Amino acid sequence: MNGIAIVVTLVGIAALGGGAILYVRARKLAAVARASDDDVRHRMYELTILKEVGDRIGYSLNVEKIANVIVGSLNQFIEYGAASFMLITPEKIIFKADLDKPVSHAFLDDIKVRMRLALNALLDRDLSQTPLEETITGTAMVDGMNEPVRSFFNIPLVISGNIAGLLTVAHTKDGLYKEKEMTMLYKIVGQASQAVTRLEEVITVERGKLQAMVESMADGVLMTDTDSRVLVANHALRNIVSTPDGRDVTIFDVIDACAGMFDVRGRLEESIKQGRTFVADNINLAGSIYQIFLFPVKGANAGGGTVGGGVIFRDITRERAAEKMREDFTSMMVHELRSPLDSIKKIGELLRTPSIRDDKAAYDEYMGMVYQSASNMLELVNDLLDVAKLESGKFEVRKKPASIRELIEERVKFFETPAHDATLRLASSVDEHIPHAILFDQMRTAQVLSNLLSNAIKFTPPGGQVTTRAFLHAHGADINQEAALAGIPLPLSEKDPRFGTLQNSVVVAVTDNGEGISPENQERMFNKFEQFSTSIRAGEKKGTGLGLVIVKGIIETQGGIVGVISQEGAGSTFYFTIAV
Amino acid sequence: MNELEQYKALISEVIKKQIIILGPDIAVLKARNVADLTIDKDGTVTDIKGDPADALEKLIDTYVELSGQIVKNALGSIFTKYPAVAARRATQA
Repeated sequence: MNGIAIVVTLVGIAALGGGAILYVRARKLAAVARASDDDVRHRMYELTILKEVGDRIGYSLNVEKIANVIVGSLNQFIEYGAASFMLITPEKIIFKADLDKPVSHAFLDDIKVRMRLALNALLDRDLSQTPLEETITGTAMVDGMNEPVRSFFNIPLVISGNIAGLLTVAHTKDGLYKEKEMTMLYKIVGQASQAVTRLEEVITVERGKLQAMVESMADGVLMTDTDSRVLVANHALRNIVSTPDGRDVTIFDVIDACAGMFDVRGRLEESIKQGRTFVADNINLAGSIYQIFLFPVKGANAGGGTVGGGVIFRDITRERAAEKMREDFTSMMVHELRSPLDSIKKIGELLRTPSIRDDKAAYDEYMGMVYQSASNMLELVNDLLDVAKLESGKFEVRKKPASIRELIEERVKFFETPAHDATLRLASSVDEHIPHAILFDQMRTAQVLSNLLSNAIKFTPPGGQVTTRAFLHAHGADINQEAALAGIPLPLSEKDPRFGTLQNSVVVAVTDNGEGISPENQERMFNKFEQFSTSIRAGEKKGTGLGLVIVKGIIETQGGIVGVISQEGAGSTFYFTIAV
Repeated sequence: MNELEQYKALISEVIKKQIIILGPDIAVLKARNVADLTIDKDGTVTDIKGDPADALEKLIDTYVELSGQIVKNALGSIFTKYPAVAARRATQA
């Protein structure tokens, strides 16, 4: 071989070697590119399926829906014979399988066994006896195939740290699933579960707020599902139906509490079925009167169907009592107005008879009776008008500088005659340090004093004494010491915390040594209807009972306070204040 | 049973429990990612290189990374059978 041939050979070898190196490098680059393509493809799929899962799940907390979405999306990504899930509920296991390839019943049964075993291991309890609710979709099953499960993997569905179920992918082919694919699917399911967990945490916080509100309600609140299972029952309801502490309220507690009075279950079922609200009035449960509302509870979503029923027990015992008092008051007012009218009518008939008409003395006496009856009516009508103004907030006082000393002396003098007739002594004592002129409505305050003196005279037995006192109260000073110095026998602030913040004031107190008032009646004295019922029981000393209601209105409109302190058998002190 | 054998038995049980929970394919594949472990196809550990305690923790971490803390919780009953290993884990925690 000559030199040229050797050179050519060497060049050829070099070229071959270079070509071989280039070929190997190109192969490597192609492999890297393919791997990169796979990565990109997997990543794209991961993003796509997560988006799809997110879009389709939305803000749902329904784990079954979420599992359906994931299973329904799987065939875009992975080959399977059966993609299935099991969800654990308190009563059963929900099993759903989507078949993408023909498989046998034995194949599916094997999957179910494996899934139950996995759940047993996860929960550390035996679920083999738990009923299974089964749904199969996709390709029809073929029993003759006799192909066993050769590839499969489970993905636990975990919501808020608890096992909600299991998702399983299975195939008849052996070694089908690669680690990368399976890992990605775990990741996808994990992310969907985390999204639901986060949403559930938000819902739990919000539900907590709602529960706190429902618990705080004075009304008894109950919510059931459509099968009458109790979902919500607040503290007030537990008390109404007497459910012992530590036990959940059941519909039977409610049925028992209403037994013989109201068919709560029947009415609730009717309400849910018909989609309308029922109201039952005046249901007496263990001595209390209730108004019961029953209504269907609709799903939160627009167009959502009925998800259960709600019942509200509203205690109307006090309202009914007040209503009865109002009715009594109205009928008594009618009576109070009719009595003087009846007298006037009868006297009018008498006055038409010649014998009376010609008897001057008798005529004058009867005319005096007409005048008295008309005056009584006018007084009553004025009282009613005053109360109406007070209740509507239209009552007005006109404060002008005036002397409270002169007003007290004038009123005491005015009542000397009726006091004398009742064989009572009237006295007054006004602190000399009280300014001569203070701001108050003289006419209305005279009305207040008249009412208190008139009542004191009415309820003090013969031989008793009625004393009107006035003294100064300095803000922050001990009112009882001030009252004792003024000669008032009972401590004023015993039950009246308002004295603690009272500004500088004149305190006017009318004290008698009469029969006194029971603590129960003291609380009712200034209430329109309560005082009225008390006055009815007073029998012969009856009145409309509106006087003290008006007294309270006048004094409070002037910015003062009014009250009573009394001891049965020892007497009473009615007091009011005027700011100085 | 010496410590290594205890670890081999315990880790084998862990893998076999995960085979039940997650399925054999993924449970064994993930276990084989722990380089210190040699595992046969049914999940039995045949050899452990290095510190077996480290290998156990790596294996558990691998499963937790895959499917969350819940699979770790399911291993409690296995550790009760190996009190010496459980005690060592507790002191290392």
